[in-house]
Parts: sequence; C-alpha cells; structure tokens
Amino acid sequence: MSFKNGTEFTEASLGHFTRLIDKISSGLWEYNAINKKTTWSNGFYTMLGYEVGELECTHTNFFENILYYADKNAFLKTNTENSTSPVSSEIRLLTKNGGYQWFKSIAYKSDSKDTSLYYGMLTNINADKLTRLNTERKNFIDTETGRIAKIGGWELDVTNRQVLLTTDVYRIFELEDGTPITLDEAISFFEPNHRSVVANAVEDAINLCKSFDIEVLFRTARNNVIWVRSKCVPIVDDFGHCILLRGIFQNIDAIKKRGLNMQSSINMLDDKNKRLQNFAYMVSHNLRSHAGNLAFMVDLYENDLTEDRDEIFGHIKTISGSLSATMSHLDEVVRIQSDIQMGLKDVKFVDMLTNSMRGLSANIQQSEAVIDADFSRCQQIAYIPAYLESIFHNMITNAIKYQHPKRKPVIVIKSFIENNKVFLTFQDNGLGIDLKRHGEDIFGMYKTFHQHKDAKGIGLFITRNQVEALGGSINVESTLNNGTKFTIMLVHFNNNL
Amino acid sequence: MNSEPRAVTACVIDDDRIFTFGITKLMEITGLFSPTMQFINGQEAINFLSNPENGDKLPDVIFVDINMPVMNGWEFTRSFEEIKPRLGKNIPVYMVSSSVDLNDIQRAKINPTLKDYIMKPINTTHLTNIFNSLNGDIEMVQYN
Repeated sequence: MSFKNGTEFTEASLGHFTRLIDKISSGLWEYNAINKKTTWSNGFYTMLGYEVGELECTHTNFFENILYYADKNAFLKTNTENSTSPVSSEIRLLTKNGGYQWFKSIAYKSDSKDTSLYYGMLTNINADKLTRLNTERKNFIDTETGRIAKIGGWELDVTNRQVLLTTDVYRIFELEDGTPITLDEAISFFEPNHRSVVANAVEDAINLCKSFDIEVLFRTARNNVIWVRSKCVPIVDDFGHCILLRGIFQNIDAIKKRGLNMQSSINMLDDKNKRLQNFAYMVSHNLRSHAGNLAFMVDLYENDLTEDRDEIFGHIKTISGSLSATMSHLDEVVRIQSDIQMGLKDVKFVDMLTNSMRGLSANIQQSEAVIDADFSRCQQIAYIPAYLESIFHNMITNAIKYQHPKRKPVIVIKSFIENNKVFLTFQDNGLGIDLKRHGEDIFGMYKTFHQHKDAKGIGLFITRNQVEALGGSINVESTLNNGTKFTIMLVHFNNNL
Repeated sequence: MNSEPRAVTACVIDDDRIFTFGITKLMEITGLFSPTMQFINGQEAINFLSNPENGDKLPDVIFVDINMPVMNGWEFTRSFEEIKPRLGKNIPVYMVSSSVDLNDIQRAKINPTLKDYIMKPINTTHLTNIFNSLNGDIEMVQYN
C-alpha cells in the first residue's frame, strides 16, 4: 500500500481496511505460483454468496469451477501483465444463488523478484454492468429503429429560427450529420409547389400554435425526389406563446408511391367498371327493345285478322334482322378484347388509309369526299393492324355520314409525335355536334344525335374501346355547322417500353 | 259521369318505327283512343306542340321514348316544361323506354313533368289504366 508520507498505519489499520473491503462486495486474494498456496479474504466468500470457509480455497477450484470458462483469458491477462501498470478486466464468476455475475478484477505481481507471488482484488459490478449493457442495447435499438423506419426528429427554436435535426433526418436530407441549417434552408429542400404548404404550416404552428401533419415532395441534397411526412407539435410557454416546434420527419416514399399507384389503379378500375355497367345497360336496352317489339308484333299478329297481317309480319322480319345486327355489334365489342392478343406490328399509316379508302370507295365517290392526309411527321407505328384500320374506317365513315348538306366533305388526317405520344387527328367540315348538349355521350353505344337513316351509334363506341384497350385516349372538339375534329392519342411511349 | 267516356288522342314520340306502329295498332284494337299522332324525335314534337296554329289539335296524352337522335326524351321533357303554360291544356306525359338503368327510372319517377315511367313492351292493361285515369282527370277538370 502506498500512502503518502506522513501517514502511518498501525497493524490494527490493516484489520480496519480488510473489514471495510469485506462490506463492499469485494474480495482480496493472494496466490503463490511456486507452492500453489492460495489465500482469500472473508469478503471473497461473501461476495460470491458463501459463508466464510464454505468453499475449497484452491487455485484449481477457482479456476475450474468459479470462473466462467470464456473469461479465463481475460482473467489471466490481468495476472501476466507486468506489475507496474496493473490491468483491470471484467469477468463472470459463479455465485452460490445468483448464477454468474459480473466482477471487476485487478491483479498485481509481487514487487520482490525472488517470489512468484500474485495478489489482487475482485469487486461485484453486476448491477452496473447490466445497466450498461441494457443502455447499449437500447441505444442500438433506438438508432436502428430510426434508420430502418427512415424516421427522425427535429426541433425548431422559434426565437432564432435555427433547426435541430437528428442523425436520421440528416440521412433523409442526404446531408452530412450536423451541418447547421436554418428554417429557410430547410424549406428550400421541398419541391417548389409544395414549399408554400410547408412554410404556411410552420407559420401557423408558430403564430397560431396549430400542429400539422403533412405529406409533401422533397428534393434531397443529392437530387433525389422523395415523398416525406412531417408531423409537428408546437411547445408553448406559460403565456401560451409558441417557443419551440418539435416534430418527426419520415421518408414515406415507397409507401406513398404504392398508395398513389393503388389510387390510380382504383380510378382506372372504377372507370372500366362504370363503362362495363354502361355497356350492360346498353346491351340490355337494345335487346329488350327488339324482344319487346317482337312480342308486341306477335301479339298483334294473333289478334288482328285484317289485311294488316302482312305488314305486321314485315315488321317481324325487320326485328329479326335488327337482332342479328345487334348480335354482330356485340361480337365486335367482345372481339376488341380478344384481338389484343394478336400483338403489335409495325404498320404504316398510309397503308391503313389506302385499305380503308378501298373499302369505302363507293361512299367516297358518291359523296365526292376529299381526303387530305399528311403522315410526314410520323409515318408508322407499332399497333394492332386491325384496330388501326377500323379506326380509319370509322372516322372516315363518320365524317361522310354527317357531312354538311351544303358542301362536299373534306377530311384532313394528320399524324405526329408530341411529348412521347403518337397522335392521329381527323378533322372534317361536316355538321358538327353540340358538345355542351351531348358531351361524352358521343362515344356511347347506340347514342345517335342526327336524324340519319344509317346512324347506328356503334362506330365511335368501337373506336374508343379499341383506342383505350391499347392505353390511348380519344378526344373531340366540334362546332355546330362548322365541323368536328377527333384527336386520338394512340401510344404513350413510356407505357410501352 | 253521365256521358260515355270519350276517346282520347295520344301523341307518340319514338324513333323506333316498329314500336310506333305497334302502339298505334294496339290503341286501335282497344278502341279507347282516336287516331294517334307520331313524331320521330323530341324536336319535331315540340315544333308541332308550340305552334299556335295547332292549338285545337293538341293531344290528350303524350308517350315519349328516352333514346332518340336530335332531341332525346329528357331534353323533350325540359322543353315541354317551358311551353306547357302556353298550351292552355294539361297534357300528361308518360316516359316509355326499354331502359333498365335504375338511374333513368328514378330520374323519371321524381320528375314532376312526367306522370310515370312505363317499361316496354307496353300492353293493353297499361293503355286501359291510362285511359281511365285520363277520363277521371278530364271529368274533374270539367266539374271544378
């Protein structure tokens, strides 16, 4: 023992010290490596939960039965190091009733050179060690949770407008941890059209003590655009003024995009469902009216014995013809879906036009229609040939059918590419249609608007279904008595790649 | 109640010529209706009804289809509502269609201009009921 000069201890002092050490769950030991003599203090027994003398006081007993096997090296290390700078280590010892517990071990080699005497002290540090281990684990879980959930916390000091971010928030910003950042700088990370949402929410939180929870687009320091969620609670002082905003910041990109995708799928399904329902109504309406008329005529035929019977039978024949026509229209609609499997082929617009014009040559000649086509800006497209031909056929037929009585039909057809989309337009100088009155109905099945003997209300319905089946869309602009222009978006490149 | 119920004149607005033929024939058979007037769309009917020269030829009842080119049943109902006050005669309008669309049926039922919605095919029972209710109305108008 090395006490400073001027402090002398008596023999009795040694006894005092030993007694003190005995009371603090610590034990002293001595070991002679040559004659294997081992000595333990009373505290050595009690710290392990035993009565004094209850254990066999040998080096072997300690080493083989009390010391945890995996900690043997740690313990030996404290003994073999040189005496001037003793090494401490943490080891586990088997206690009588409490299983293995953590102890701190310090050992010295005797100063005198001729003896191989070792001595040391063991102290129970189990409670401390366990607390330390728990804290470490908790910290690990905390930081891991934030990292895995991509969520962190932030604070805004209202007085100096400085923002404090946790490591996880810096990770979401893709900024180096600890970079100082002001409120305005933080807001500039949000996408331009979302900045005002964030700025207003923050101002309202500061001035009106309103909490917020927003989902907005964010551009990270490395230029990645992601969806984030920022939730905030204002902290107020005794006077009700907001002094601090505290909140969480989370990268919700994956989940948000999934949600948005889902929403657009739902809208699409909704749309399809509505159209299907409409289609069912149309079919039912059409078949019903034929069936109703048929029953009507049969009834009359039975009750009427006059000369009108021939006329009634004539109507029955007409109904039979109409039923067949309706069935073939239905076949056509159903075929749109099955034709999709035929696959896309590169087709030239000019070939499709030539084919359609050949099929319609009688109508074109009779009406003296002029067709002016310009496919120079986009000559061909990967499409289902049958659809494209049908589109040309229906559009030209439509333009001729609803021509203006006072002028010859002129049909201008153009193809072009804009914003990665292929467009095809058909413009005529015909009767036109009042879109305010009929609007979307013009693409409906069996919807007719002009008193025309050939109006069946099936052409535009089929065209729209073909175009939409391949992911396109069809739009119409029209002025009454001036003409109609159909703009068909055939293909969106991004959809097809 | 003292006189024989008199025959009523019906106006049929429908682009389906077979239906118009059928209903006319049916009316003849029942013997309750005098010759009908027919129009192939709403516009033609409105043109006729709104012409003051036809004031003495107005029908007693109108049957109108929904789906027609140029002016459909709904548009006719709206136009008819406008000219109605000038007609000097209360003409009930029935909507007659093959539509099973509940929206159409509901819309017709709540429309105050429309007396009722009749789903095709129309039969003698329909016509007799309508005839009876019409005569009731006419007599009530006469006594008040």
